[in-house]
Amino acid sequence: MPPVLEVDDLHMHFFTRDGVVKAVDGVTFTLQAGETLGVVGESGSGKSVTALSIMRLVPEPPGKVVSGDIRFKGQSILAMEEKEQRALRGNRIAMIFQDPMTSLNPVYRIGKQIAEPLRVHKDMSKADAWAAAVKLLDQVGIPQAEERARHYPHEFSGGMRQRAMIAMALACGPDILIADEPTTALDVTIQAQILELMVEIQKNTDSAIIMITHDLGVVADMADHILVMYGGKPVEYGRADEVFYGPLHPYTWGLLESLPRHDVDDKGALCPIKGQPPSLITLPSGCAFHPRCAYAQSTCKSKVPPLVEIADGHLSSCHFAGDPQFVAQFTDGACYVGEDAPGGRS
Amino acid sequence: MILSRLGSSVKAVDDVSFSVSPGETLGLVGESGCGKSTTGRCIIRLLEPTSGSVQFEDSDVRKLKGKRLKAFRRDVQFIFQDPYASLNPRMTFGEIMSEPLVIHGIGTRKEREKRCKEMLEVVGLSPEHIHRYPHEFSGGQRQRVGIARALMLRPRMIICDEPVSALDVSIQAQIINLLEELQNEFGLTYLFIAHDLAVIRHICDRVAVMYLGKVVELGGWKAVYNTPNHPYTQSLLSAVPVPDPQKQRQRSRIILKGDVPSPIDPPTGCRFHTRCPIAQFPICSEQEPPLDEVAIGHRAACHFAKDFPIAGDSIP
Repeated sequence: MPPVLEVDDLHMHFFTRDGVVKAVDGVTFTLQAGETLGVVGESGSGKSVTALSIMRLVPEPPGKVVSGDIRFKGQSILAMEEKEQRALRGNRIAMIFQDPMTSLNPVYRIGKQIAEPLRVHKDMSKADAWAAAVKLLDQVGIPQAEERARHYPHEFSGGMRQRAMIAMALACGPDILIADEPTTALDVTIQAQILELMVEIQKNTDSAIIMITHDLGVVADMADHILVMYGGKPVEYGRADEVFYGPLHPYTWGLLESLPRHDVDDKGALCPIKGQPPSLITLPSGCAFHPRCAYAQSTCKSKVPPLVEIADGHLSSCHFAGDPQFVAQFTDGACYVGEDAPGGRS
Repeated sequence: MILSRLGSSVKAVDDVSFSVSPGETLGLVGESGCGKSTTGRCIIRLLEPTSGSVQFEDSDVRKLKGKRLKAFRRDVQFIFQDPYASLNPRMTFGEIMSEPLVIHGIGTRKEREKRCKEMLEVVGLSPEHIHRYPHEFSGGQRQRVGIARALMLRPRMIICDEPVSALDVSIQAQIINLLEELQNEFGLTYLFIAHDLAVIRHICDRVAVMYLGKVVELGGWKAVYNTPNHPYTQSLLSAVPVPDPQKQRQRSRIILKGDVPSPIDPPTGCRFHTRCPIAQFPICSEQEPPLDEVAIGHRAACHFAKDFPIAGDSIP
């Protein structure tokens, strides 16, 4: 059986007045049923555009898939007719957005919005769809679901709105659930509730989850595999433990080192990554990370590193990832810092 | 220092008391709506508290007027959360940074420019950036200018209201290190307001945990994080996932039920009793627990503070 989703060397570029924005530039990954993939990166790294491309929700123009393919159960989504794509969207592939206030329609009752995908995709009657919506609300932990279904989004709290969004995404029992920063706008105690809910749902439905986030804690909690993105490109992919405990790309290592932790007693200066994230219009030559990389060499400036498999199922796009001596530097405790990042242990 | 504010019937901050010693960093941590930002704003009188007092060194801040108020505001500066909203887009970095000097009538034009250039270097930017505009820079660079502006008057205390929460992870660490460096260099006192428990732990000497306008736990960072006494603090710590998959899998979480109640109509008694995993009735719903000392310099406002087993998983 083919994997539930394959993204194959996807290039999604935006053609703007200021130039071509290579928002997604060569992303490749596969997703199996029941798996959770964590997509990590900073703002502008292309993680959200990747998700929107899978959903076919990128406006074209200005966006355009320059090359690559996205396959759902072996079938190319890009080659499909608009009508077939629509039959997948919200049905087999559903999405939860970051901000539940702007992604719910303020003038429709919650119940009606959750019933909508059922009406559209499952051809249910109004009454059946409404009853199903109430049941879904109950499943995602909303008390007095019957009454709550008649409420409008503004009557819900942030956490409840996100639960309603999840109920809507789950309505048709999707194979893939794409969650784009689903807990970023929520408080930590509510975040814990939502993450718990997602894990429970996955257990019951065996759907695959793509979890897009900048929070490495959330990824550590949820993900089986991790894709790290930088400047529109994947820089590392592997099983969660491998990426956390044996990162093969200096950027991944830098991210992990720059985090303050609430579970360790170390109060030493943090190890930031120097410099600023790049502009996607004028990406640095060669490896996009080279201006911020403490280990960069002349090759890094001139040659774009390909994403290659270093160990079994663990990919990195660093020129030197295959060199064990080079990788050992990451773990020797030396601080990853440059001249314009004040405060590091240099 | 006691603050309390009664807005249009919202008790955003209710009977909050704490002190900050010179050179120290006190963290205010809590979820949205707990009153941490309101507390910060009351201190520098961006908001006027309904009752209570704020003491800065020898003066009662709420009674200050005219020149003395201006002098106080020179000594206590503010860094805002959003580096996009807190810098005027129509002013250059030089204009933004010299404005405090102009208001306080310090220096000539030349001297001010010199000081701006020096300060840009201190915060890790280049002196040539003085004629540039905020839109030309990224969030992290703008936040550096926000910090530079707060430093221009050589304040003794800075209130940092979520200074890193709008920034990317790799940039956060840069700004946190910068703030720590500046503290050492200029002997600054910080009141550090944030919702991120890891950031607070890293930068603060003492921590106050707030819930619905009240301080529920207050103590040294080690005490609050390693031996949290209030069930809310324990739940918060257990709710934050740690970036360490194996450890995270072993941690047990206290999942709180429901949402934070509205501060317009807060629960009676202990405000946390509606979500508390160990609440006992009727005492918790009737009597408000005082912020009592549980160990030296460590206070918690819970009737059962000492009895509650400590959630050991998050604690090394």
